[in-house]
Formats: sequence, C-alpha cells, structure tokens
Amino acid sequence: MSASSIALGIVASIVAGTIAFALASLRRLPSDPAQLVVGGRSLGTIFLWFLLAGEVYTSFTFLGAAGWAYGQGAPAFYILAYGTCGYIFGYFLLPALWRRAKERGYLTGPDLFADHFHSRSLGLITGLIQTVSVIPYITLQLTALTILFSISGYGSINATLAATGAFFLITLFVFKVGLRGAAWASVVKDIVVLGAILFAGIALPVQFFGSPAAMFDRLIAIHAPLLTFKDWTSTHGLLWYISTVLLTGSSFFMGPHSIAATFSANSENTLRRNAIFLPFYQVLLLLAFFAGFAALLIVPGLSGTAIDQSFLLVVQHDYPAWVMGFIAAAGVLCALVPASALLLASGSVIARNVVGTFIPYSSPRFNETLAIRLSILAMALLSLVMWWTVKATLVTYLLLTYNAWAQLLPGYLCALRFPRVPGHAVLVGMIVGIGISLLSMSYTLPIAGINPGFVALIVNIASIALITLISKPRAELA
Amino acid sequence: MYSWRFALPGIPVAMLTVAIPLANRIEPRVFGIPFLAAWIAGWVLLTPLFLFALYRVEKRP
Repeated sequence: MSASSIALGIVASIVAGTIAFALASLRRLPSDPAQLVVGGRSLGTIFLWFLLAGEVYTSFTFLGAAGWAYGQGAPAFYILAYGTCGYIFGYFLLPALWRRAKERGYLTGPDLFADHFHSRSLGLITGLIQTVSVIPYITLQLTALTILFSISGYGSINATLAATGAFFLITLFVFKVGLRGAAWASVVKDIVVLGAILFAGIALPVQFFGSPAAMFDRLIAIHAPLLTFKDWTSTHGLLWYISTVLLTGSSFFMGPHSIAATFSANSENTLRRNAIFLPFYQVLLLLAFFAGFAALLIVPGLSGTAIDQSFLLVVQHDYPAWVMGFIAAAGVLCALVPASALLLASGSVIARNVVGTFIPYSSPRFNETLAIRLSILAMALLSLVMWWTVKATLVTYLLLTYNAWAQLLPGYLCALRFPRVPGHAVLVGMIVGIGISLLSMSYTLPIAGINPGFVALIVNIASIALITLISKPRAELA
Repeated sequence: MYSWRFALPGIPVAMLTVAIPLANRIEPRVFGIPFLAAWIAGWVLLTPLFLFALYRVEKRP
C-alpha cells in the first residue's frame, strides 16, 4: 500500500468512526428548536467540558499556535494567555447569561438583544453581525482541511475536493443531530487531539534533540531574540500583547457557537466548574509551541502559508504514513467539529433572528426546527461559495471576525448588569466599534502597536456610557 | 461587598497581561523552558486554583 492510501485511510476511518460514535451515543434525534440548538439545556459538567474544549480548539488553534511559534516566537504566547483570561471572564459572565436565557427562553445571543431592549431590529442587526462574521471563520477551517488533505495525501488527491466532501458530510451530520451530536463528536475529537498534541510537542523534540530542554538549548543558541518580546510599541510588542489578550480574552465566549454551548449547560454551576477546569486543556497549547519550535530547527526557512504546515511537514518527511494519518485525522477533526458547531449556531441565528424577524413561525415547533435546519444548509453553501470565490482575501478578514464578536460584548454586559442602558446606546456603540475595526484594516492607525480592536472596544463602551448619560432613563424596566 | 470577588481571579489576569513586561526574559529557565514561556504556562496552570478558591468561598452560606 502506498503511503497516501495508508494515511488517508486512517483519516477517513477516524472521521467515520467519530460520526458513527456520535450517532450511536445519541438516545434520540432532536425534534424541537431547543433540543437542536442548545441540547435541551441538559449538558452536565463533563459533557459540556468536552463540547467547549471541542469547539474552542480549532485547527488553527493548533496549526496556528505552532505556526506563530515558528514564524513569530514569543508573540505566539498570547494564544496561551487569552483563553485562560477568557475562562476567568467567563466565570463571571456565563452564569448570569445562562440564567437570563433560561428564564426568558433564549436560544441565541441576538434573542437577548431583541427581548431585553424591546427591539426586533437590534436582534436582526446583531444576528447579521454574528452570521456574517462567522463566514471567514468557517472558510478558514476549509482552508485547514485542504492543507491537511494535501499533506496526508502526499499530493496524490484533489485536496479541495476532499475538503468540500468532508465539510458536506459534517453539515449533514449536524443538520440531523444538532448540539448533542456535536458534543459527542467532540468527545472523540478531544481525545484524538490530546494524543496528537502530546506526540507533536513531546515526541518530536525528544527524537530530534533528546528532550524539550535540549531543544531550547539549541533554540536559544540560534534564535534567542525570538523567545522574548522585542520592545513595547512594535507590531507584535508588549502593548500589542497586553491589549490583544485583554480584547480576545474578554470576548472569548462571544462567538455564536460559544453562546449556544453556554445555553446548553444544565446549571450555573456547570458553567463555573467548566471555567475552573478548562485552563488545564489550554496548557496543551504549550506543546503546540514546542512542535513549532522543533520544526523551526528541523526545517528552517519556511515562509508564507507553509509556516502553518511546519510541523506537519516534519511528520510527513520523517515518520511512517500511519503516524501522518493519525496526526492529520486529529487536525481534520479540529476543523470539522468546530465547523459543525459554527454552522449550527449561525443557522439558528439566521432562522430566529434574521428570517424570523420578518416571518413569524405560525406553528412554532415544527416550522422553526425545519427553518433552522435549512439555514444550516444555507450557511454551509454560502461558506463554500465564499471560499471558492474569494478565499485568498478572506483569511485577512478573520481578524474582523474576532473584532466584530468583541463589539457585541458591551451589549451583553449592559443587558445583564446595567438595566438603565437603552438599546440605541448599545447600537451606536456597536456600530462605532465595528467602524473603527473596519477602518483599521485599510489604514494603519498610529497607536503604538495596540490592537485596534481593543481601541474600538474602549470607544464602543465610552459611546454607550455617554449616550446613556444624555438619554432619559428607561422607565418601563424594573 | 461585591467587588472583592474580582480581586482573587484578577491576580492571574494581571500576571498574564500587565505583569508580562517584568517576566520578559529567557533566564532563569524552568525545566529548560525559557522564563517567559514558563511564567505564562505556570499562571495558566495556577488559574484553576484561584477560580476554585472563589467557587468555594461563594458556596459558603
């Protein structure tokens, strides 16, 4: 058997095994919107832990973390820090969010905007922001799939076609099984990824250098400046690091898939316990940095997109095909499982907050479940079309995904903690924040390396505070 | 009464953000890992302790 058929055979069996395991583990298929989108708000601590770890750690968390370590060095450590800060912020934010969602029957984040601020149009606008911003994130997973299929196929297959096929499969999967199915798939994914990351971060340095410590000896001898921040104000300097960790940490749970996962918990304490224990999984990213640093010493001189493939290229070149297959399968699951969660969550936002704003569902249970399922398909097709047509430029818009999600944060905080704040203040803050983020993509703002999204968030909050102070108090809310 | 809750988990947040300039060096290495990387990884591993302490304090009647 050729190397490519062994490696691809392993990838295909692990993906098929994951889907079969998830289907076999489900007791029944979802039949109403709440079961489909938030698993009937029934997930316990451990099950939710698998789901959250499953959807937070995408292909680009691991490939990107290794790639950043390879190409940037110390700035990559922000990836380790921001998730941890995200769990700390989440410890305070998520229980309050969950309680409100449970009381008022929310299934999506925009549900809260529409209901709390008595404004269907605010629900529509936040819904559009969430769905549009998800598309670059999904297309990035498609690009990762292409990389993984082209490396594990040793160039023998059409990787774009394979990626499209795998994406189609996961779309049908989540169409049918909803959130609990995605959570069961996450269980397999998290375990496979654990094995792959232990291999890449420990076995690679041990085999090539004797130990991770010996690898760092070599790295310090050759690339010492890479291992610390250069200065305060450069592109990836200290101010950039601090502002980026605070920005991405505070908006860590703002993606529609993370909101859906939050709503799926069975109690507030389930969320608190998850915030406590998720940093233990986060620390695995240190091993992804090890893999990236090892690759830098073994295959120096890569540039462009090859940087994100650095340690995969080492595996492809120096290890048997079955190891390649296992590592690639972990990467493929890292793309497919989060993609399924993103499709499900953005599909539910389209059905409830975009389409649902114009067409009320007459016989709610049947119609809405079907509408959500159809929206999942629509979202998948839209992502595929965008990916085929403008894929090169879309990657740059990924920054906008995170920045757009971050600009929704003040709205959630106001709805939960500051009942005096009116809807129009939140709307203006959001638009100003997203406007600044958009501007910062075309013009380099002279702000000493500070993340423009962080500046946008501060201006967003300041706008909300100002407008609230000059508006009349909201009389109708107790 | 309300704000002290933020103090305890505020420590790892501060150590992972504004304290980083103080940890921005290679030596001393921890298990061979450069100090900056070890500092960040160490505070990630300590974070559950801080959150768990808060969880226990809040549970107390």
